[in-house]
Formats: sequence, C-alpha cells, structure tokens
Amino acid sequence: MKKILSASLVFGAALALSAPAHAIDSTGCGLGSMAWRGQSGIIPQVAAVTTNATFGSQTFGITFGTSGCDPNGRVTGGTQKMILAFMENNLEQFAIDAAAGEGETLTTLAGIMNMDEKTVAEKAYRNFAVLFPSENVDAVDVTLKFYEIMKA
Amino acid sequence: MNGRAGNFCFARFLKMNKVLCFLLSFFFALPLHAAEISDVAQSKAWLALVHYQKTLFGGEKGIIGSENFYLSPEGRHNPEAELEATIALFEGDDEEKQCLFPARYLFLKKQGFLETDFPHCVEYEQFQTDLQPSGITFLFTDAFMNNSSSLFGHTLLRVDTKRKGTQLLAHGVNYGAFTKGYENSFLYAIYGLTGMYPGGLTTKPYYDVINTYNNIENRDIWEYQLDLTQEELDFFVAHIWEIGQTQTPYYFFTQNCSYMLMELFDAVRPSLNLRADFPVQTIPLDTIKAVGAREGFVRQTNYRPSRRRKIKHRLSQMSKMQRQALYEALQTENWAMNALSDDEKADVLETAYQYVQYQYIAEDIDLKAYRRKSFGLLKARNQTRAGQKFATLKEGKDPMFAHDSAVVTFGLGTQNGDVFEQISLRPAYHSLTDNPFGYLPGAAINFLNLTIRHQDRHDRYYLQKLDILQLASFSPIDTLFQAPTYRIDLNVSRELKPETLDPYYALNGSVSGGGTLALSEPLWLYALSSVDGAYGGVLARHQWGGVGLALGVLYTGEHVSAQAEVKKIFATSTPGNKLIYQVLFDYHISRNTALEANFQYVQYEHGKNITEPILSLKKFF
Repeated sequence: MKKILSASLVFGAALALSAPAHAIDSTGCGLGSMAWRGQSGIIPQVAAVTTNATFGSQTFGITFGTSGCDPNGRVTGGTQKMILAFMENNLEQFAIDAAAGEGETLTTLAGIMNMDEKTVAEKAYRNFAVLFPSENVDAVDVTLKFYEIMKA
Repeated sequence: MNGRAGNFCFARFLKMNKVLCFLLSFFFALPLHAAEISDVAQSKAWLALVHYQKTLFGGEKGIIGSENFYLSPEGRHNPEAELEATIALFEGDDEEKQCLFPARYLFLKKQGFLETDFPHCVEYEQFQTDLQPSGITFLFTDAFMNNSSSLFGHTLLRVDTKRKGTQLLAHGVNYGAFTKGYENSFLYAIYGLTGMYPGGLTTKPYYDVINTYNNIENRDIWEYQLDLTQEELDFFVAHIWEIGQTQTPYYFFTQNCSYMLMELFDAVRPSLNLRADFPVQTIPLDTIKAVGAREGFVRQTNYRPSRRRKIKHRLSQMSKMQRQALYEALQTENWAMNALSDDEKADVLETAYQYVQYQYIAEDIDLKAYRRKSFGLLKARNQTRAGQKFATLKEGKDPMFAHDSAVVTFGLGTQNGDVFEQISLRPAYHSLTDNPFGYLPGAAINFLNLTIRHQDRHDRYYLQKLDILQLASFSPIDTLFQAPTYRIDLNVSRELKPETLDPYYALNGSVSGGGTLALSEPLWLYALSSVDGAYGGVLARHQWGGVGLALGVLYTGEHVSAQAEVKKIFATSTPGNKLIYQVLFDYHISRNTALEANFQYVQYEHGKNITEPILSLKKFF
C-alpha cells in the first residue's frame, strides 16, 4: 500500500523530470564485420577488413560502442575472429596489459587460444614493441602480430 | 471441463476433422488431462512464464507487447487457451514457430503434457553455442548524474560463460527501449513516460558492458551471482531467447529495465514472486534489494569499480614521492621518473596510463595527445620490470545494503515561535545528508517530497511544501579530477510575506553551479552561484528573479551527516532579496532510521526575519 501511495507521487514527478527512457545504443557493428562471414583463415578476414575503405580498421583509441562486434552482439566465430573482435574493443586495455605482462585481457586471450596464461603474458610482454611498433597501429595489425607471436 | 475440450479442439481446428476432434476429446484428452490443464493454466509457473498480470477486474492480461507471443487468438487474456494452443503447437509440425518457444517446451515437457522432441533449431543452437551458459549474474550499475535516464542506476543481466578465459567473454543481457532516431527530440521524454517506445532484450559481450559503464561512464558495476540449479539455468537461457523475440511498450517508471528482469526471474523460479514487490514504480536499487531479500538467491557478490574509482584507489596507495612524480610526468610527458625504483614506477605509470584514457574520454585531451601520451607510457611501462604492486580495489559499499528509497519524516518545530507538527513523504530517493552507504557520494536525487504541516495556534493543516525535484551532484576538485558541482531545485512552498507575515504560495526554481573542495575525505567545502526565481499571486508583478551566491560545508560520515550553508540572493523585489542560513544535521540510527535537526533563518532586506528550527524522525521504507 505504501508503495502504491508513493508510486502515484512518483508518476507525477515524471513530467517534472522529463526523463528519457533507458536507451539501447546503436546495434550497428563497424568494421565491415559482415565481410568476414563465410571466410576462413585470418588472412582473408583481415583482407576483407583492411580493403573495406568505408569503415577502416579500429586504430588506437577508445572504442565507443560496438565496433567490430557480431551483428547479434555476441562472442562468436572461430579463434581468429574472436581475437579480432576482442582486440577491436579492448585494444587500449590489451596494450597496457601486454606492456606490463599481466592482466585480465591476457587471461582472456589465453582462454580463447587455449594456451597457458603465463606463456601468453610472457610472450606479449617480451614482444610488446613488435605488437605496438607505433601509435598508428590498428586492431588488425595487432591481431595479426599477436597471432604470429603466440603460434611461434 | 467441457469448455476445456472445446478450446482444445478450437486450437486444432485446422488440422482435424471436427467430428474426429469431438470424439477424441472425449476419448483421451478429456479424462487424461482436463482437470490438470486448467490447474496448470492457473498455476503461478504458467502465469509467470507467459507474463500474465492480474487485471483490476480479476482477469489476466499478458504484458508482452508482440502479438505473435500469444499462440491462441485469445491467449493474451486466457491462460488456459494459451496453454492449449502451446500444447497444440508442439504436437504440430510448425518447427519454425516451435523454435521461438524453447522455455514453454521445457515447461510442458516437465508437466508431462508432451512426448515430442524439441526440433532442431539452427539459430537457437547458435545462440547457445555463442553463450555457453554457466550461470546468471544480476548486475547493478550505480547512478550516472550526466544523464537523466540513469539517475537511479541501471540493472541488467549477465549470462556467465563456461568459455575458457574470463567472464569478459560472457554476455550482458539488457532490457531497454529502442529509441533510435528520437534521442534529441523533445518527444523523447514524453515517449519514454507513456510507453511509446518499444522495449526489448539485447545482448552484447560483457567486455562491451564493462567498457560502457566502468570505462566510459565511470560507473561502478555490482555483480550478484545467482544460485540457480542447472535446470533453472537452462530454463532461464531458453526464456531469454523467447522474450528476445518480442517487444513490449517501455515505461520509464513502471515497466522499465528493472521491472522486466523481475518478470524473468519469476518465470524461472515462480516462488520468488518478485513482481509483487513492484506493483507500480520500479527503482533499480529496490530491485537488487528485493533480489537480496530472497533467501539463498544470491550466491556471491563481486564488485567492479569504475575507472575513476580505480585511479583514486591507486592514488591513495601512493607515497608522496610517487604522487609528485605522477603529477610532474603528466605535465612534462617525461616518463623516466628516475627518482623512483622500478616497483614504485610501474604503479605510477599504470595509473598515469589509466588517467590518460580517462582524460581522452572526458575530452580533456585530443586524439593526437592521447596517442602520444599513451604510447610514451606503454613503452616506459614495458621497460620497467615490477615485482610488488598495488592492491586492486575489491571491496565497496554494497548498494544492496543501502537505505530504502522512500522515506516518511515526522517533524516538530517552530516558525517565529509558532509551534507546528509536520509529516513529509518522499517517494524517492536520496538526500545529501541521508545515510551515504551504498549511494553515489555527493549525489542527491529527490522527487515529490510532500510536506503537510499542522499549526497549533490556529489548529490548521496546510500544504507546507512540495519539492517537485531536487538534484545535486557535488564532486570534489583535485589535481586530477575537476568535475563541476551543480544543484537544481523546483518546489511549491508556503512562504510568509516579510512585511506582514501573511502566508502565500509560490513556485520557486533555482539552478546552481560551482565547485567543491575536499578538506578531508568526509568534509567538503563548496561554493555555488545560482539563478533563482519565483512565481506567486501575491508577489509584485507575480514574480521575482535573481542571482545568488552560496557557500557551504558538507560532512558525510558513517553515523553522522551534516550540511551548513549560507546563501545570499539579489533579486528584483523584496521577498526575493534575502540571506538564508541553514544547518542540517542527521544522525543515522540504523540503515533505515535517522534523526534530523534542521535550522533555518531567513533574513529579508525589509520586514521581519523568519526563524525555523525543526526536529524530525526519518523512517525509510
């Protein structure tokens, strides 16, 4: 009862507040993610991405929204696609974790690649300069190099 | 029973010969399940699964908006017809449609109504493959004072994953309004309040959720892992899929992001009966308390602080030398920090890196500076081998144990010597001097605080004040963080004319902006400048406008909160020209009980001054 009483008051407050609804942000996925579909191997994937002049790749900078995500908003696809999508969205956090040789993104990537966490962390740390040669790197470069380094 | 048989056939009308149907219903359907079906159709579990609500006239109404959610033409109002239609669906061969209702299938199978297998559903199976569910976590993100739709925080779900790695690869499941194209229209608010936007479920990877809330909006995330059986988990995921195919009108205060999650929980475990706690309005914080109050439902709580809070926690662990090195390096971009050991330096570099990310999002630095600084820091950090490092922030003040959101206040006071008693009711949410535990520090949000006063001398009751809206965001300025402080007030109040002390009603508005300085952790000093105005029948030309200056201190401790302020308004006419002294002192007896002393003295340029002390008991509920 007390809740109902207070509720009727809250309802009136609605107009005073002019409160917008809880918006779901754009469901759009950048980076020509559609182009990956049906292709296997990281090279065709990456080629699809880098030749897609409309979108370009995610360069170093914080991702607002869901660049490079699956259109359904899910973690999906094979190892390479997952790594690329992860890098697209977590590049700047991955960079500091790689530079420090520890962190949540490295644990996650080790999981995706089914590798030992310590090995991934150590390899990323030692190869940091290869992964991030300049401030103009993009997620595709980093993903390719990361993949090479981990498979080496 | 006959009615049931009739419905049973109606649903299959197209597939069966009418006569055969009539006979069959007598032959096995009726004796076997008739009584059971009507029982099950009225069971809590079925009513929750199809999201029926009791109507005022005692009937049932399904709240899901999409028509195709109801399989029977009368399904929205008739749970039994819907149950029969669902049985018919699974006994039929429309696999595409069957694939939309995996939870209903599980339910019917468990009830013994179905012998058939669930069909092979490519999309649904892909959904499960992507999610790889291992559990459900209920998420609360705290208030975001820069967006009016986020003032009360937000709730969403996480479908935990058994993927190798971390829960970054889990999925956030969010119920929200689809507002695309209307964001900047004035209709936005109206639509949000009147259910003109469709609401629905969306998923996104949990790393996106973290980036949005923790890293971009600087909001804490609380993760409440739910204690579900494997059967309940499967059912939950199936039901998310089911509801994910539908849309329902979104109402900002009632059927909102938090309410629909209560509907989902009830569908999975009907005995929770969470919906009953929210007959009208649903405040996100209240829903985590309701979930917390269901014994054994929350298995474990985990805290993910915002980026800003993490930076502050790191700062608090720094030595003076480290802090000095941090401030200097951020200025000079010389990341060498030769005075520090490698261990000391690693923490400073990582803090600086997070701070540069913060600055970029706050638009304090441009992309070029951001990249240059980030890379300088990354390189320096990579060249530093560290052993011992700062502890991460794992403990916070769990909002599940914060005070309740409504409050009733009983007060006793005097106004220039006249004794009065008063009662106030505030439906939501938090004042600066309320018990701060679990609320965003320095933030106040109040709606429709209504005060009725009884004056002893004339033995009369009257409306003393209606605070339509009070919003405040106080945020201390320091070397690294410089958020502005603001306050918005809108109220109708009973005032006294300074010349004669005759009462009158006025609509008062005030918007203030300024800065706050933390003298110590709980003690803040603030200064505000404001634009003030009032509208009322007895005022000269019915109104006054003015500008004001305020200076105050705010103390928020564990047991005591206090605020003292002096405010001067320079206005266009007499009642507006005033000097206001106010002292508020709250003693938090328990989580939901407080004693408050309030003293106000208003000094007018011409006429009599007003002195008003009040002692109150506050009870949150």
